[in-house]
Amino acid sequence: MSGLLIAFVLVLVVPLFVATWRTSLLGLALQGALMTAIAFRHGLHLSVHALPELVDLVVVRTLLTPALLRHALRLRHAGPRNDVIPPNLLSWTVALALVVAAFRVAAVLVPAEGDPQTLVGVATAGVLLGLLVLATRSSPISEVVGALRVENAVALFELGSLGHRGVGLRLSQSTITLITVVYFARYLRALHGVTGAEPEGESAPAPESGRASL
Amino acid sequence: MLVGLASVLAAGALGLAFGAPTTGPIVGGYFTVDATARLFLALVNSVFFGIAAYVHHRERALPELRPEALRFATWSAPFIVAADVVVLSNHLLLAWLALEVTTLAAAPLVTRPRSPTSVRASFRYFLFSSVGLGIALLGLLCLERALELDAGRATFFLGDLAGRTRVLSSLWGRVGVVLLVLGYGTKFGLAPMYSWLPETYDQAPPATAALLASVQSNLALVCLLRVLEVQRTVHRDFVAAELLFVGLASMGVSAFSIVATRNFKRLIAYAAVNHAGVIAIGLGIGGSASYGVLLYVVSNAFIKAILFLTAGKIESHYRTKDAHGIRGLIRDLPYSGVFLMVGTFALLGFPPFGSFLGELLILAGLIQAGQIVVFVLFCTFIAMTFVAMGRTIFPMIWGLPVREVAWPRQTAASAAPKWVFLAALVAMGIYLPAPVNDLFRAVARSLGGP
Repeated sequence: MSGLLIAFVLVLVVPLFVATWRTSLLGLALQGALMTAIAFRHGLHLSVHALPELVDLVVVRTLLTPALLRHALRLRHAGPRNDVIPPNLLSWTVALALVVAAFRVAAVLVPAEGDPQTLVGVATAGVLLGLLVLATRSSPISEVVGALRVENAVALFELGSLGHRGVGLRLSQSTITLITVVYFARYLRALHGVTGAEPEGESAPAPESGRASL
Repeated sequence: MLVGLASVLAAGALGLAFGAPTTGPIVGGYFTVDATARLFLALVNSVFFGIAAYVHHRERALPELRPEALRFATWSAPFIVAADVVVLSNHLLLAWLALEVTTLAAAPLVTRPRSPTSVRASFRYFLFSSVGLGIALLGLLCLERALELDAGRATFFLGDLAGRTRVLSSLWGRVGVVLLVLGYGTKFGLAPMYSWLPETYDQAPPATAALLASVQSNLALVCLLRVLEVQRTVHRDFVAAELLFVGLASMGVSAFSIVATRNFKRLIAYAAVNHAGVIAIGLGIGGSASYGVLLYVVSNAFIKAILFLTAGKIESHYRTKDAHGIRGLIRDLPYSGVFLMVGTFALLGFPPFGSFLGELLILAGLIQAGQIVVFVLFCTFIAMTFVAMGRTIFPMIWGLPVREVAWPRQTAASAAPKWVFLAALVAMGIYLPAPVNDLFRAVARSLGGP
């Protein structure tokens, strides 16, 4: 499983340095595919009970998430370039330092070396890099990618668990993930041309400009 | 129809809260009607009923609002059902899922027709909620890992988690609780991830802002209380330092932001961040402050509902959110003027409101716990908030109107929900009926209170 986990780290890191939204979406798709492979290595079998998990990993995370976001970005004619984090030496150093810190944390949480420790390290790196992307928040697409990176990292961490929760709860989780992605895609379309939050605008008129509101 | 649903839910919730107490889990152990569930069920459904009645009245008074009211009804109905699931849940993962559903239902309500900035605010709300709830889920998974390492079998049922000393004391257990506090704290509006809140409450329609501030923030609080209830069976003070720190940080950032803004909707929103800080500090202290925290929480749900609904009305009439552009409110819009004035007094913790008593008990708890530095900082931030709010809000209420405009008269019926909220606020500061007081005490005990 180590090879898959190392590949996952690469998929986490490389899109930070390649400033196009297509690379970011490809990264999300590859994260889903790698998580599916890791799940099979971790003992997932093709069965009815495994169906919600497979739907979540293959359909939602690998296929639908990048497809829906790509569709939204194409509709708004987004330019190819998109810096996920600011393109400077400081951001890149911070990103790499976070990966190192994640593996240090994993070594404390799981003292025994091996795949469980690596998985915790990779998942922690995913969360920290996702938060880094959100903290630098250069554009809505970067923010969405950051949030989905955090969600994928949580899902990866979940793969290391022995627990088998009910099909209902599992399906609910997958459904919520799917609806979240649909919402994000809708926001990306709606936010076309809206580049930032409204300034304080102390004397700005109310948005409804004379119309009553609920 | 929304008012019908809200009235049925409110009646049912009040019946459950003050009827014969039911103990123990129900529906396969997934739900419980313990004291915490009964108190918050009564609170969120009562406030929701008030908001639904307000929306109904606005729609009847202004027929052009019908599409907006219909949209509100469409999304707020699943919202309140999911909210009740959160409150009644005896299963941490189920509560988390239901809280996600409330977010999915609330996000479309934040947007206003033809307002791109409100879409941006809705996006920020949804983004921060997703990340906060993602962190909370990670916390749940860490707890699951701790359980697996201890007993080989994971559970999210509250009863199974309580008293599991080895699980909750383990590194995984501790990390899990910290992440849960951080994740649910984001949804509750605590620092460091609070920046979505002022923008969202400012841009959302008033009824939505009231719904988020008075109902949804309490759902996040219920999730937080459940975690603390479980944690305190083992380690009373484990997350105390974290709660005190984020509480003070929230109060600090909100105090400075209140000083810097003239937008009265944002002022109320920053005050909500301040309240979240006060509640976090009260929870961090625990013990005798627990009762005060609950008084404060319930009072604030009513205060925020009154203030956001009133602020919306003022904004609609004056077409500005700049406090300097509004003067003589008490003459122009007498009901709104009174509600803004009384709501601000309650917000600032004046007697005879419940928030005054709650804040006093939290301060007493700080002294009893020997947290003098926290006490001093708490008082400093409260004083800053008091001066800055008063400086901005009170000139809006008195003085001569900036421009004379003939408004249609406000009817008493339009203000009825706010009168009821106000009566509840005053009652909590003066006299609590025995059944209500018993319920507060039962919840306080579950948080480590006397």
